[in-house]
Amino acid sequence: MADQVMTADVSTRASATFEPRIIGFLCYWCSYTGADMAGTARMKYPPNIDIVRLMCSGRIDPELVATAFAKGADGVLVCGCHIGDCHYMVGNHKTMVRIPLLQRVLREMGIEPQRFRLEWVSAAEGARFQKIVREMTEQVRQLGPLNWPGLMRSRGVGHGMDLKPWGEV
Amino acid sequence: MQGNGSAGVVGNGNGAGEDLRIGVFICHCGGNISDVVDVKRVAERIRKLPGVVFSDTHNFMCSDPAQAMIEEKIKELNLNRVIVAACSPTLHALTFRRTLERAGLNQYLFEHVNIREQVSWVVEDPEAATRKAERLIRAAVKRIGHLAPLDKRRIPVHRSALVIGAGVAGLVAARDLAKCGMKVDVVERSPFIGGRMAQLGKVFPTGEDARPLLSKLIQEVVHDPNVTIFTSTEVLSSVGIVGDFRTKVRTTPRGVDARLTYVGNAIAACPEETISEFNYGLTKRKAIYMPHPNCYPQMPAIDWGTCTKCGKCLTAVGGKGIDLKDEPREVELHSGVIILATGYDPYEPLYGEYGYDVFPEVITLQQLWRMLDWEGPTGGQIQRGGKPIKNIAIIHCAGARQYQGISMPQPDGKVKDYCARTCCTAALHASLEVKERWPEINIYDLHQDIRTYGRGHEDYYKHASEAGVTFLRFDGHDLPKVEKDLRGEAPLVVKVIDQLTNGREIEVPADLLVLATGVVPHDISELIDMYKCAIGYDSFLLEVHPKLRPVELAVTGVFIAGSCQGPMDITECTAAAAAAASKAAAMIAHGQVEMEPFIAQVNEELCTGCRTCLVVCPYDAISRDESRGIAVVSTAVCTGCGTCAATCPSNAIVQLGFQDDQVLAELNALLDREAALVL
Repeated sequence: MADQVMTADVSTRASATFEPRIIGFLCYWCSYTGADMAGTARMKYPPNIDIVRLMCSGRIDPELVATAFAKGADGVLVCGCHIGDCHYMVGNHKTMVRIPLLQRVLREMGIEPQRFRLEWVSAAEGARFQKIVREMTEQVRQLGPLNWPGLMRSRGVGHGMDLKPWGEV
Repeated sequence: MQGNGSAGVVGNGNGAGEDLRIGVFICHCGGNISDVVDVKRVAERIRKLPGVVFSDTHNFMCSDPAQAMIEEKIKELNLNRVIVAACSPTLHALTFRRTLERAGLNQYLFEHVNIREQVSWVVEDPEAATRKAERLIRAAVKRIGHLAPLDKRRIPVHRSALVIGAGVAGLVAARDLAKCGMKVDVVERSPFIGGRMAQLGKVFPTGEDARPLLSKLIQEVVHDPNVTIFTSTEVLSSVGIVGDFRTKVRTTPRGVDARLTYVGNAIAACPEETISEFNYGLTKRKAIYMPHPNCYPQMPAIDWGTCTKCGKCLTAVGGKGIDLKDEPREVELHSGVIILATGYDPYEPLYGEYGYDVFPEVITLQQLWRMLDWEGPTGGQIQRGGKPIKNIAIIHCAGARQYQGISMPQPDGKVKDYCARTCCTAALHASLEVKERWPEINIYDLHQDIRTYGRGHEDYYKHASEAGVTFLRFDGHDLPKVEKDLRGEAPLVVKVIDQLTNGREIEVPADLLVLATGVVPHDISELIDMYKCAIGYDSFLLEVHPKLRPVELAVTGVFIAGSCQGPMDITECTAAAAAAASKAAAMIAHGQVEMEPFIAQVNEELCTGCRTCLVVCPYDAISRDESRGIAVVSTAVCTGCGTCAATCPSNAIVQLGFQDDQVLAELNALLDREAALVL
């Protein structure tokens, strides 16, 4: 690693107490309500996921996902309505195409598939949401910290990427 | 302003340029939150953030005193942004937005943070939960600086309704709307109104005759001066949005007018015959026909697909009252709202499914009901194959509750896996009717389950059992088999693995096999495209929410009534239609509709007119202004999914309330170094 600060940062975070930071982009109608359902049923899951609410998974711009990783997320979970259940009829059809494509691109850029998942969660699937979050948190914990900007710089790429992973807006 | 150089919009809706004055209100939810999250600590730490001028907790933030407190604080401290951290926004975001309105603050300068369903109820460790709650509120504090005041969309609504379909549901909806003083146009594809109800001899759960009931309803509708009914009329195209729909319809001529007196002569003279849809193919009808003597309108119609225009009917009636040369007419109907009441079709069994089409003794329940009708094709007698009927077998769930890989797939490769709901009671009703008229007939009822769910429906099950109907239960994975009876006792034998006798194979003789067929939606693919209707997995129209908005489609101003939404009996259709009518009437009476402002907005300077957004919009809400070469969003059509905003290659489209800078501010705050330490 070229960046001293980054190396130090990674070493502290890679210690036994490493807690992954996961961003969940959830559509309001199915998945966000599904996450609420997990709460209503008191289904426990790790606190590592922070949920960002959007109206439709079709709103999830690849830029948002990339920014999350560039700003220091160790994992990103995208959840939308099951195909056929979209509140906006076909908004999630765009997600269905867009996210897997982005997954392929990001895999080439060093982001393991376990770190970036697309899952369909209906408003009734609280248990499914719990299972996904538990599983994903554990998998990302196993993988360790991502430090995507540092990784990119070590490969000699990532020019133009925000080099301050913990930076402000 | 905040020290982080945020480029947020500041202001309270009345003018920009003020500093951010954020009030943060954190709820205990009577312990639901505060038993896990240390809300006091969170409030204290949040108070130190730049822009936050007030941060405190309350036992129940949604209570009237707490709302009054928020109102007071907004006024007292001149707050221009409000954050409430409490339950899920699905529950109370609206409550608090109204609180802001009351305090004179734009209701969209508000952030709702979910620290109950998504924090205190799911995170076990109090320390971790407290940190997570703080992190989420910090993100809201960062995000809220980027919010701008928004206004609800208000769209005027024309005082009229268009009802598509004149079956029971359409007629009830039209009647109820007309009674509210609304002008109603009813469009019906067939030349006769009343739909499928007329095909039923009797209706459950009252056992009343169907047609007199229907007649009563029809009379109420057709004599209402507010109602205009268009028969033989199809919807060609529809443009416009809620409040101002313009629907082009085409009326095929009836070929017959009120001057026709010798109806019988005209029908008798017609040489062309085709299958009678009304009698489900049990009989034939002429090209000039009335489906049944009490049909409405009380005059025949000509089926142009069958008619050869030979003119024999014209000769038979003396040249008056029949016009074979009339041309179709197109008109445009103007309406504020639309109600779809397009109904259902009975499931048509596939060739060979339980011997259907192979053995003449296999009929559908609909056909049995036509036979049982005293005014029906057989005068109320059960006939098939000339022999007297001694044994009737009824198989439930033909075209319903099927399993993939077990039942024959439909042309689309799928099986009909949903319950058709009405057929159990209808089949039992028919069994009982047969038993009452001919107690000596043996009835074998083969079912997966008996689902007599409605009020009074269970009585049919009870009475059928008492009347001696033999019930046998099969597993949907092990369907009954229908074969020719080689011993010659009855024409057919049905072999069933009976679950009620621990899986014994039982052979049931059948002179008549009745398939209690399921229900499929009437084919309305053109309307589905036209109105951008959502479709459920069962191909029926899908409401916005089954409990909160059960008769509305996602497209504002379009409602659904009756069995186009799913299998329903007449009682349920009527209730659904009345609900749709009252929803529509409320919208019309209000004179305008209010819609959330979270819609797409085009930055005209950035837009290159590449049309990408036009392609992805599920509602065709975006068009291209060819003169200026940019995309234009129809504010009334846009539903605010934000798909275009995610797609635009120039970032020229934003979704209000979910703009990139707003979401990114939230993301940054969630992931910034301080927040990371909070975890």
